[in-house]
Amino acid sequence: MEKQEILSAIQKLVADILEQKGLDVVTLDASTELLGGELGIDSLDLATLVRELEETTGRDPFSEGFIEFRTAGELADLYVR
Amino acid sequence: MQRKHVLVTGGSRGLGAHLIRGLLADGYRVSTCSRTRTPVIEELLGQPEVSDRFFWGPCQVGVAEEVDTFVRDAVAWAGADGLYGVINNAGIAQAGILASFPNVESEKILQVNLLGAIQVARAASQYLLKAKDGGRIINISSIIGTRGYNGLAAYSASKAGMDGLTRALARELGRRGITVNSVAPGYMKTDMSSTLNAGQLAQIVNRTPLRRLASEEDVLGLVRFLLSDAAAMITGQTILVDGGVSC
Repeated sequence: MEKQEILSAIQKLVADILEQKGLDVVTLDASTELLGGELGIDSLDLATLVRELEETTGRDPFSEGFIEFRTAGELADLYVR
Repeated sequence: MQRKHVLVTGGSRGLGAHLIRGLLADGYRVSTCSRTRTPVIEELLGQPEVSDRFFWGPCQVGVAEEVDTFVRDAVAWAGADGLYGVINNAGIAQAGILASFPNVESEKILQVNLLGAIQVARAASQYLLKAKDGGRIINISSIIGTRGYNGLAAYSASKAGMDGLTRALARELGRRGITVNSVAPGYMKTDMSSTLNAGQLAQIVNRTPLRRLASEEDVLGLVRFLLSDAAAMITGQTILVDGGVSC
């Protein structure tokens, strides 16, 4: 998958999480910080998001170990083939 | 009809078999795994009154890929019922003085009892978090995780590690209403205690205030309680079912 497709998938998954939490859905871009910023998701939401991305892309970039990422773009890069 | 789905590892014999029978009798949807289909599994799959609520999958706990596949298949089988509870029961034991205990045996014990429990908790918590309506993780530990016993160093370490897993996960998952507890049976007359001889067991009974060994039914009682709504405020605990021998 292309990076933009993965970013769109992240956007949709984040929107689903925010809706379920009753929070306003925000538009994110590659520079949006996933945790600690204004997004309103926590580490458990992020774990769920990563799991969903694995299902969507069929890839698990963390199978060999932990990789640090901060932004939506950095996360998307991990899934680009 | 909606039923709560409880996944139990190692349900093909001993305590695990007793737990799945009890939970099926209580009306739960139950999934379990083992390396091979034992007579217990065949019997339950052949019982019309429970077969539609019972799922078995082949899985070597301790092998992450097999655990992931089993948990995924079990949740898919449960359909709309998703996943409510996880019981990390699969375990192996082997006794011997550590100085002459083969390293490979210690590795096997840690692989199944501790890494296996971590793998199952990881795979299952992904579904519990997704469901967003809470859940239960119960780790079947042992009194030997909190008390020393001659000849069971690796087993003891694996169960103490499991209790640490319980406490860490309780903190991690608590904010989603998922409770995590260890059930630590005292010395039992089961496969896992086959490492103890009759003399050692008699000595344990003499030191036990309630004057008997713990039974599988005693453990099932606590598991039932921890799965119930009445236990919603209990998390991060290691609860001993030992007749008071450790008090």
